[in-house]
Amino acid sequence: MMSAPATAANAPPLGKEGYGQLHSLLFLLVPAIVVAALPLMPFVNNYIIAAVVRALIFIALGQAWNVVAGIGGQLSLGHGVFLGIGCYTTGILFNRYGVPPWLGMWVGVLLSFVVALVMGAMTLRMRGVFFALATVSISLAMVQISRHFVDLTGGGDGLALKFFGDSLWAWQSRTPAPFLYAGLMLVMLYYGVTRWILVSRFGLEMQAVRDDEVAAAASGVAVFRTKIMGFVVSAMMTAVAGTLYIQFYMAIDPDAAFGLSQAIQLQLPALLGGLGTATGPIIGGAIMIFLSEVTNWGSTKLGVEGLDILVYGLMLLVVVLRAPKGVVGLLPRALQRGMR
Amino acid sequence: MGIEAALLLALQAIFSGILVGGVYGILSVGLSLAFGVMRIVNFAHGELVMYGMFAGVVASKTFGIDPLLILPLSFLFTALVGMVQYRVVFRHFVGHATLNQLLAAIGCALVLQMIAQLIFGADARTATSVFTGQYTVLGPFFLSQAQIVAFAIAVAATLAVEVLLRTSTWGKAVRAVADDLEAAEIVGVNSSRINVAAFALAAGLAGLAGTVLVTYFPTTPSVGFQLMPIIIIATTIGGLGSIGGTFLGGICCGIIQQITAMMWTSALQDVPLYVLLLLFIAFRPTGFFGSRVE
Repeated sequence: MMSAPATAANAPPLGKEGYGQLHSLLFLLVPAIVVAALPLMPFVNNYIIAAVVRALIFIALGQAWNVVAGIGGQLSLGHGVFLGIGCYTTGILFNRYGVPPWLGMWVGVLLSFVVALVMGAMTLRMRGVFFALATVSISLAMVQISRHFVDLTGGGDGLALKFFGDSLWAWQSRTPAPFLYAGLMLVMLYYGVTRWILVSRFGLEMQAVRDDEVAAAASGVAVFRTKIMGFVVSAMMTAVAGTLYIQFYMAIDPDAAFGLSQAIQLQLPALLGGLGTATGPIIGGAIMIFLSEVTNWGSTKLGVEGLDILVYGLMLLVVVLRAPKGVVGLLPRALQRGMR
Repeated sequence: MGIEAALLLALQAIFSGILVGGVYGILSVGLSLAFGVMRIVNFAHGELVMYGMFAGVVASKTFGIDPLLILPLSFLFTALVGMVQYRVVFRHFVGHATLNQLLAAIGCALVLQMIAQLIFGADARTATSVFTGQYTVLGPFFLSQAQIVAFAIAVAATLAVEVLLRTSTWGKAVRAVADDLEAAEIVGVNSSRINVAAFALAAGLAGLAGTVLVTYFPTTPSVGFQLMPIIIIATTIGGLGSIGGTFLGGICCGIIQQITAMMWTSALQDVPLYVLLLLFIAFRPTGFFGSRVE
């Protein structure tokens, strides 16, 4: 069973809700200001800023996945497809035709809209585990396909963006600070979008489908159409985050885009933080990158590789077995209300 | 190229497809068994195969023993790993192939993978049996001996499991639990004990298959994720829960893969399989021989 956070239908009365909103504003505004002020602080070097940017990117990816999986209850293991579309479209258009990323991004969004429509129509009638298996198989097929078409994608070696130095036009920078602000804006935007979806008619219908498909259909919800809309919105959000991904990392390869490990990393922020909540992916993504930084540091100290993956696996097990509602679910109820 | 030559090439592809596919079959049988009895999709099945492969590597490189001689040992070893997996994780999910179960299995897979990497490192390892690198020329065909032996073992093991499930009292109890857990309990079957044993059998088969596979296919700690798509496809085509069906599904996969590699390119040899998987999930989720799907 997926976690079922409070839907708007059983939300507390308005007075308490207002209190909750004040809470959530404080909870998010303070970290946002701290993140924005990072470059001005003493002892904060580019290494730390880059780690925060990584966290912001995975938070954004997690927020996008959360829409279809958390709010919609459809556990897509194929969102690497849209991350890949975002990265590769932007990258290929830029390298080959000199199209700037702020234009290429929209091409990627359009492309992922079309692909998500087709992919969703093919897979969203399947139930539960079969949907997950079908989406992951599409993603894995993309690994082989993108490896094969070397001319376009650079094959297994991947695609590296041509470097232009500090350039606003090419969305490139030698220092990570600009990406900090881009990532922060994207995360705040996605937070707003998630909050809006949660209370919108569209979001309520998605939650109804997630909680009980038959009951939702009986109440007049167009189940299949709702699922497809959720899938498409989530895919487009993923593609935008994909553009940010390739601009920051400057490179993409088939495994980093479509591979199984990446599919797992895409879902960890929302799972860890709390599926179907607006705050969950933010908390989860921050924890995920923090732990991966710590374990990477430990890995180099100890001279062993892969500690971060071990920690990811353990986190996944602990969350599923002990805390299916994620970190948000472990907090006191009064706090949870504001974090919905 | 004349028609005869083309026909010979096609036959060669089909023969090696059957040989490779038989091993895909035995790789997948355990997954199918666990699903059939407990409705568990063990996404960490590939990792159990990987432990079987490393058992072969250790036997061959550390002790100089032919991997094929330690098959019973690797069966027992992975059966034990499987039992631990069941006790810690999967007993919470018996009966329902839920998404949380899938996520827990993925977590398991990552942990098992990284434990292997901490022990053996990330590099590819090989093991050699007496048949490794030997070839038999059969008329116009050129066949790998290691693959022929692997195929024979795969057939034997699959038959053994089928016979065990169909004729022994224990097998009847397993099938009873798979059909209707409550009814089985009522007539005195201890279902939790049956589940542990069935899961251990499924895991042991994975290990056995891995040790056979490593005689001609190198292993890495992440080999499980490489094999898992094929395993899932073979199981879905053949029918989740059907042992013989899954084995035939594996053979189908092998043939399709080899023919694609021959006629198109080996770089895309798995793509038709993914398409096939999608078609099956969409139109016939029970596969050829499966009975029930939840």
